[in-house]
Amino acid sequence: MTSRVPSLILGRLLIALVTLTIVSFAVFFATTLLPGDTATILLGQAATPEAVAGLRTAMHLDDPALLRFVYWIGGLFRGDLGTSYANHVPVATLISGRLANTLKLAGLTTLVSVPLALTLGITAAMWRRTLYDRIVTVATIGIISVPEFVVATLAVLVFAVYLKWLPALSFTYQVDSFAGLLRAYAMPVVTLTFVVAAQMIRMSRAAVIETLNTPYVEMALLKGASRPRLVLRHALPNALSPIANAVALSLSYLLGGVIIVETIFNYPGIAKLMVDAVSTRDLPLIQSCAMIFCFGYLILITTADIVAILSNPRLR
Amino acid sequence: MKTHSSTGTLAARSGYRINPVGVASFSVVLFWALVALVAPYITPHSVGEMIDADYFGPMRPGLWLGSDYLGRDMLSRLILGARYTVGISLAAVFIACFTGVVLGMASAVLRGPVDMVLSRLLDALNSIPSKLFGLMVVAAVGSSIPVLILTLALIYVPGAYRFSRALAVNIETMDFIMVARIRGEKLPYLIASEILPNIIGPVLADLGLRFVFIVLLLSGLSFLGLGVQPPYADWGALVRENIGGLPFAAPAVIMPSLAIATLTISVNLLIDNLPQKIRDRSAS
Amino acid sequence: MTTTTNWTPRDDRQVEDAMRRGANRRELLQMVMAGGIGLAAGGAILGRAAAALADTPVKGGHLVAAGWSASTADTLDPAKASLSTDYVRCCSLYSRLTVLDQAGAVQMELADGIETPDAKVWTIKLKRGVTFHNGKTLTANDVTFSLRRHLDPQVASKVAAIAKQMTDIRALDPATVQITLTAPNADLPTILAMHHFMIVAEGTTDFSKGVGTGAFRLDRFEPGARSVMSRNEDYFKTPAPLNSFEFFAVADDSARANALLSGDVHIAANMKPAQLRLLESQPGVVLERSIAGNYTNLNMRLDMAPGDRADFVAGMRHLVNRTQIQKTVLRGICEPGNDQPVPPSSPYFNAELAAPAYDPEKAKALFNKAGMLGQAIPIVASDAAVGSIDMATIVQQAGAGIGMNFQINRVPSDGYWANYWLKAPVHFGNINPRPTPDILFSLLYASDAPWNESHYRSERFDRLLVEARGSLDNARRKQIYAEMQGMIATEAGTIIPAYISNVDALSQKVKGMRKSPLGNLEGYAFAEHVWLAA
Repeated sequence: MTSRVPSLILGRLLIALVTLTIVSFAVFFATTLLPGDTATILLGQAATPEAVAGLRTAMHLDDPALLRFVYWIGGLFRGDLGTSYANHVPVATLISGRLANTLKLAGLTTLVSVPLALTLGITAAMWRRTLYDRIVTVATIGIISVPEFVVATLAVLVFAVYLKWLPALSFTYQVDSFAGLLRAYAMPVVTLTFVVAAQMIRMSRAAVIETLNTPYVEMALLKGASRPRLVLRHALPNALSPIANAVALSLSYLLGGVIIVETIFNYPGIAKLMVDAVSTRDLPLIQSCAMIFCFGYLILITTADIVAILSNPRLR
Repeated sequence: MKTHSSTGTLAARSGYRINPVGVASFSVVLFWALVALVAPYITPHSVGEMIDADYFGPMRPGLWLGSDYLGRDMLSRLILGARYTVGISLAAVFIACFTGVVLGMASAVLRGPVDMVLSRLLDALNSIPSKLFGLMVVAAVGSSIPVLILTLALIYVPGAYRFSRALAVNIETMDFIMVARIRGEKLPYLIASEILPNIIGPVLADLGLRFVFIVLLLSGLSFLGLGVQPPYADWGALVRENIGGLPFAAPAVIMPSLAIATLTISVNLLIDNLPQKIRDRSAS
Repeated sequence: MTTTTNWTPRDDRQVEDAMRRGANRRELLQMVMAGGIGLAAGGAILGRAAAALADTPVKGGHLVAAGWSASTADTLDPAKASLSTDYVRCCSLYSRLTVLDQAGAVQMELADGIETPDAKVWTIKLKRGVTFHNGKTLTANDVTFSLRRHLDPQVASKVAAIAKQMTDIRALDPATVQITLTAPNADLPTILAMHHFMIVAEGTTDFSKGVGTGAFRLDRFEPGARSVMSRNEDYFKTPAPLNSFEFFAVADDSARANALLSGDVHIAANMKPAQLRLLESQPGVVLERSIAGNYTNLNMRLDMAPGDRADFVAGMRHLVNRTQIQKTVLRGICEPGNDQPVPPSSPYFNAELAAPAYDPEKAKALFNKAGMLGQAIPIVASDAAVGSIDMATIVQQAGAGIGMNFQINRVPSDGYWANYWLKAPVHFGNINPRPTPDILFSLLYASDAPWNESHYRSERFDRLLVEARGSLDNARRKQIYAEMQGMIATEAGTIIPAYISNVDALSQKVKGMRKSPLGNLEGYAFAEHVWLAA
């Protein structure tokens, strides 16, 4: 059966490509539906009808949407993301630095949150219905139920304003040592860990418990296997697929969803770039950002699907 | 993975056992639901009335939860906020989960082109970041309460769909579904009577988590300047507008945070501690 | 601060301001006593304020300042500058022909002198020996290039409407520029002091380098993120005390305040009234209050329901509780407004014009007369117009007391100016300070004004506007402007409850910040004058 695995993986990749195409179409037309006109917004309080008309023509805003879509998608294939309406800088230039920042923050948060969340989730399942399990559950829901901006602001007040251990803003360009890295990233990473860990904890716990209920695991229990051994050797491999899905869904938040953390720590990432782009109706920039988010999301869920395929004993 | 074949497992030992944690969390949820229902009759002051000359005032008789950033009565604002947070979030989570789960099960049963098209479309929808999607929709259609509910629901449909489809696909391969199919049962019967009872536990757990996300996204949308119309405010918006009181530990910011926490924790504990017969129909 | 009084650092600054304005010691002590402080303690406060003034600049240091608005559309092109962040950067990199001092009087900057026989043809002599950051000498061609850009639709200048009157801009010789206007305008020297009329080098198309004649040279510029600049040693005025300064925007208000409290930044600009209590309680923080000038106003369009009924508009004037707005929404960081756009700091302010009193019963009678009592009336408000949601809440509450049902329609900041402002029947606006009554009136109240918020039309108003503009007789202008303020307050549909001061929070180490009628942060030009105390 080994031969099925490569074809399944290939299938998943093809499906990802199809989705990407649908998304590019959806993103383009969704952004053109946004109310408000780029030319009017760019001219701001100085927008006279003539000025708006002139700028619209100069920016090719009067071309049919389909034509602009073809130009745009053609540009994407040539690696040309277009030029920002708002400040006439190539979109690629605007995005590259910000994307690197976002990936750095996402990477560090992943390194911290995934091991932590999986450990908590799996151990909670191991000792299900014990005090430990209850504490983990209440703490998890308690933490995610506090709005992110409260967590972030509270962290700033405690660690930056009162204790003065860390800077209130994340000065990423001052990172030249491990201590510098810690100073710049500690609070954003902890805040984001609070946000994304909960889903992973809850779902890995649920998935492990689900597999613990299956007859063959019960068989192992009857044979006298210890609880940790039961979970790690028998239940975990079968729960890998839902866990991978939960991890992928949680991590996808780290690309486009971190707007609040970026705002509060003044972290120059891509989510803030996109919000700026939405408020200036900078369509090339919005579309490129949205495509990056989609691309990241598809990489994550495709990876999760592939993990699921590889971990499925019936396919191995 | 739960099937009819797992009769006599660990889960079967508990029947409709009344669980104190479940009762306690049910009481909290019921309390907030009642507060939401009778809110207009029990507020001591009008929500918009500025009665305190000071702002971020402390708790004291007459102003039991202190005053907010404009000197308005926090207790009244919190009571009326319950309407929005409980009402909008519950409506949105039920629409999202109902739609997502029904579509997910239908996809699993029908397979083929229906599954393919639905899966791709919902994946595409899900890959647009939720806050930005919300911003776009609400900016395009305005910020009325039905639009808000539908937007929140739409954002969480793909997740519920992906999760329930994955569960249903496992069930769908079981023998008893095959038998039902041979009997000539139609799609509604298959999903309602054969598949749903076998995935209800995880689906409910997912619903609980999604409820938390919706309560928070509602406040996230308020953060971006959208949401319920003044002078009313949902709990998340109350936290946000009074965040300036955090350095003083003002009740104006702590109380709505606590309200959110009690509601969301209770909903999830309630789901975790539902009587086993409801949670695991398969175990009967 | 002493614990027995309610004397705050804010009051300290007021005393200092009074000293700057030349108040004598007796007047000052009266101010102090009014604050509830004994004579001995009062003397100490005056001593402290005097010491602040007597400080001499310390050279050196790196200042970090946080503004409040940034976007990827950040630009160093003065013609396109639209956010405070842009103004700060442009003020540091470039110079203007003229500048306004604290009292709003015109001072020369790049110009050596400006003359006109008839307010129509103006001759501007330039200072000699001024160089750009790249070594090029300033000539009249740089000035004509900079001014003509505003007339080019491709540039999309923010002040195209104001620049339109300059029909002919020519260099008479390398140090002389002549500007001819369509019609006489005695305010041209003040107009040239606006941020957008900064002078750039002839032929500049790429503004990302920020080459100007200003006090700072550009080291780094990342739109939407930050900029770093260092002192221009060849500055034609006194070189700036600071070695370098970094500027970025932190959009979140509490994050900005926290950055100051944690010591990450020296200046956190534009604090909200609700944040002042926290900041005042901090020992190392000084609050700098700007000259009140901007305002958030309630607009009722006179050309559509419900504003087309005069009694409705009159009723609203009595229903808006200005005192409450000043006290609760603005926390006293404002000057009382009287429904017209010229602020009290202006020499043309009509102080005799009183705001209508808050009188719900009178309002009720007027609404009844208009036949609108009990009707549901939507009011559009948004975070984009500062404080408008809170103001709307106050109006709503007052309305509920007399049986009026005002429905607040809160809309996103995003797109507010394009989609709601000037368009909705009853809505809020937010107007930044402008240097002259003429600009305010032509922009906001003339029949053909581009931002005629209430769609006010009056032939007499238009005639007076042209007359005052062309007059070089200041007493006559003052008289005309006073009459026009009265017309706006009684006839137009705009309610201006208060002129708002912005408050910048500074670290105690920051000294030398001045004031400007153009806005807070010294009209965005603070970097040139401030220094860091050791």
